[in-house]
Amino acid sequence: MSTAMTDAGSDAGQDQDDRRPGTRSRAGLLAGSMVGLLVKVIALGTLNATSIWALTRLVPAGVWLGVAFVVIATVAIDIVYLSRARWSIALKYLLPGTLLLLAFQVYPVLYTAYISTTNLGTGNILDKEAAIDQVVATSVDTTGGGDGAVSFAARPAQAADGTLGLLLLDERTDPPTVLVGTESGAVPAVDVTFDGDRVAEADGFVALLLGELADLEADFAALEVASDEGIIRLSTLNRAALVAFRLQYDAGTDTITDVTTGTTYTPVEGFFQSEAGERLTPGWEVNIGFENYRRVFASEAIRGPFLQVFVWNWAFAVGTVVFSFVVGMLLAITLDHPDLKGKRIYRALLIFPYALPSFLTVLVWQGMMNRNFGIINDLIGLDVPWLTDPWMARASVLLVSTWLSFPYFFLVCTGALQSIPRELTEAANVDGANGRQAFRAVTFPLLLIAVAPLLISSFAFNFNNFNVIFFLNRGGPPIAGAQTPAGSTDILVSYTFRLAFESGRGQDLGFATAISILIFLHVALFSAWSFRRTARLEEI
Amino acid sequence: MIHRTKMLLAILLALMLVAAACGSDDDDAGSSADETEATESTDDTEAEDEAADEAADEATEDEATEDEDAAAEDGAEEEPPPVVRADADLVIWADDTRTPVIEPLAEAFGDENGVSVAVQEVNFGDIRDRLQTAGPAGEGPDVIIGAHDWLGQLVTSGLLAPVDLPNAGDFSPVAIEAMSYEGQLYGVPYAIENIALIRNVDLVPDAPASMEELEQVALDLVAAGDVEVPLAIQNDPGDPFHNFPLYTAAGGYLFGLNADGSYNAEDLGIDSDGGLAAGSQFQAWAESGLLTASLSYDVMIESFGQGNAPFAITGPWAVSDADRGFKATGVNYVVEPIPALGGTTAAPFVGVQGFMVSANAENPLFAQTFITEVMSTEEAQTGLFEAGGRPPAHTAAFDAAASDPDIQGFGEAGANGQPLPAIPEMGSVWSAWTDAYGLILSGESSGDEAFTNAAEQIRTLIAEG
Repeated sequence: MSTAMTDAGSDAGQDQDDRRPGTRSRAGLLAGSMVGLLVKVIALGTLNATSIWALTRLVPAGVWLGVAFVVIATVAIDIVYLSRARWSIALKYLLPGTLLLLAFQVYPVLYTAYISTTNLGTGNILDKEAAIDQVVATSVDTTGGGDGAVSFAARPAQAADGTLGLLLLDERTDPPTVLVGTESGAVPAVDVTFDGDRVAEADGFVALLLGELADLEADFAALEVASDEGIIRLSTLNRAALVAFRLQYDAGTDTITDVTTGTTYTPVEGFFQSEAGERLTPGWEVNIGFENYRRVFASEAIRGPFLQVFVWNWAFAVGTVVFSFVVGMLLAITLDHPDLKGKRIYRALLIFPYALPSFLTVLVWQGMMNRNFGIINDLIGLDVPWLTDPWMARASVLLVSTWLSFPYFFLVCTGALQSIPRELTEAANVDGANGRQAFRAVTFPLLLIAVAPLLISSFAFNFNNFNVIFFLNRGGPPIAGAQTPAGSTDILVSYTFRLAFESGRGQDLGFATAISILIFLHVALFSAWSFRRTARLEEI
Repeated sequence: MIHRTKMLLAILLALMLVAAACGSDDDDAGSSADETEATESTDDTEAEDEAADEAADEATEDEATEDEDAAAEDGAEEEPPPVVRADADLVIWADDTRTPVIEPLAEAFGDENGVSVAVQEVNFGDIRDRLQTAGPAGEGPDVIIGAHDWLGQLVTSGLLAPVDLPNAGDFSPVAIEAMSYEGQLYGVPYAIENIALIRNVDLVPDAPASMEELEQVALDLVAAGDVEVPLAIQNDPGDPFHNFPLYTAAGGYLFGLNADGSYNAEDLGIDSDGGLAAGSQFQAWAESGLLTASLSYDVMIESFGQGNAPFAITGPWAVSDADRGFKATGVNYVVEPIPALGGTTAAPFVGVQGFMVSANAENPLFAQTFITEVMSTEEAQTGLFEAGGRPPAHTAAFDAAASDPDIQGFGEAGANGQPLPAIPEMGSVWSAWTDAYGLILSGESSGDEAFTNAAEQIRTLIAEG
């Protein structure tokens, strides 16, 4: 850090010498460069400090990709900003953006692509080792202290040489027997001291006081006393139980055996599976190649209502963009009129839908559009099935999404209109064009050049506009007779959401990410194609 | 040449925007937490309002804040800050109503055992979702508060440790049964929850003896113009959870039972003879006007709370809702079992909540000791009841709490109930069944068609999953 500061200092000092005081006074220049220097030092210092902090978290966690990224990025930024070489000027502008692009756009997409080749989801979130431990651990037979379970009052204890043991009170005999359990087995104690009805000391093992247990907790949790009857293990700090594990793992053959039935389970696609096809849970995360993609195309469940969902998704995205653009543009043109009074108030009012959080306003719309109890039907006195009839629901969704996004185009068009020189329309008028003709031939094309890229990005956004669809009507009303649950206003994302998270046996992240990637490719291709088109538009 | 550069820049920009757009659906997929919560509160026994935007007691706030999270997430394309394990020997994740009760008990336990204890407040629905990421990463808690129907997901994912509870006999058998999964006990139950019939005593002085009588009384009151809503039961557009007692009274069942009493996912009852008969009954109720689609939680609670509905079928959360609850509005009500239909008992789903131990607990012995020896006592269970108003699972604590007529009413209604299935296949049921009820109630499909189709959809989804 200190080198960074001195470098920055000398850097700024030389800047000063290089410059010739022109219109500004020398003092003013000095103050300016001092501020610049200060900002630079603080910014780079903060960055480096943050990076070092991040490394202290990343290194112990063993996230080497993250470590490499942080180190390279920090060093690169330091070099570029501290260098005064000519080559560094362009990088000063490009580097931060590029790094952020890598970290927040490229990496998530690549990671999503990676997840889409795994079976990650409910039942497969552990790694194999943890899954094996868990399969064996949950096969324990104590059945909730129920019938036939054997348990002992127990106290964790320690011998003078540090050996850990359990003082067990076996109440099946009368009088109760005291056993001392260690890793090597459980033996009846000869020399026992009681403390009330609890064993305090037996055969040199002294019961630990409660406060002494904190550091030894893990050792006692792992302590298994092999008695003649089976394994005795602590259930809590005051009680031990005789336990048996139905399933045993054999590392040599990498199989799990059920000792009661003799069934062997071998690892298949992230699960231990018997020959009969019975699976043990939990499974673990494993790479399954393109299986998720194959499912997308082969699945009967998806193919069912897919076409309908796909067509509506396009109609919804295009419709929203077109309607909100037209409404926004018309309002912008109206409010652009030079003679109009109170423009600021109108503009402020029109931006409201944009300024409020959409999930909230969408829920309000949902309430207003309720068929039987909504305020709209109450006010107009009709029984309009806003959200329950398939076509009305589609119209309602379009209405709400238009209402939500027209202010955006209103703002954009207002700005773009102000940048179109008035002389152009005036010239058109002089040439004899009426208002409509001037708009069509001059204003609109110029407006389109500015707005076209935004139309495309707005399309990409609305194509995946989960909020409106989900919060307004949850994709409903349902399509009667569909092969899988799907709604008339479901778009691909909300439909995927239903399939991946509300169906099957829980959450299926691998499958969901596979569909996300496909949607991504689809939208990316369309966007690339339309940008080509708009580039051509610009050449006119 | 210039155009070409511009075009390249434009394409780059477009790709970034698209990536941004996709980034947000990664979030949907990746976190799943927030949106899942919106629909899958189904699984939160307490709220159980899956299709409807339920707002059960404190779940109201939970959901509101979660929705904010969701929006913030979409806006900023950032995950909400994950809950990180507190720096203590025994870490407990609990929601806002239960944290204050657990804290003193946990502190006392910690002092006694010389360990540090932290009770972290986490939104109820988030506990399950965050355990799935935090647990295996070693950032999770030792103990969580959870609903029994999470067991399917959490146990098949290997996130919970079995619990050895010596005083299991002190608890209601249905609670112990619900907290068990594949023959193994995974939690110490503390509350049992189910829906019941709530009757406006001023409008209907005598309890209806049957569903037929209830329908008659309710429709007469509507015809007389005394009320607007005959039966305040959430259906927005359909609600399998709230309709379940009516469905069972009409002869339906959801999953058949295995020999050991667990649910058998192969035996789906929605298109069985009884299920289809129930479908036709719902159609009849929709036609008579007893049930309507698009009756949301808000309409339900407000219509009954304002004396605008003679009956409601809902849970304790609607009674104790701070502002709009039936206690708060002062409506004269009584809680009682849902009447039978043609002699067949109405069986609501029963949800059980309890304490569970994470499989990745840092200190499993402390965790097990705490939940089986401290939280399983009558004292602790009574304390939790007093704070949250949920009927205790501990039998003695329940008997003490049953001096409250509401608790007694819900308890009686729940005596007929069935545990909400915890099997993961349940995930395939909600969406399809919600749609089916919606189609019947809005008159789009007949009961037969809708239920036959729903059963096929559910089988397809289970097979695909």
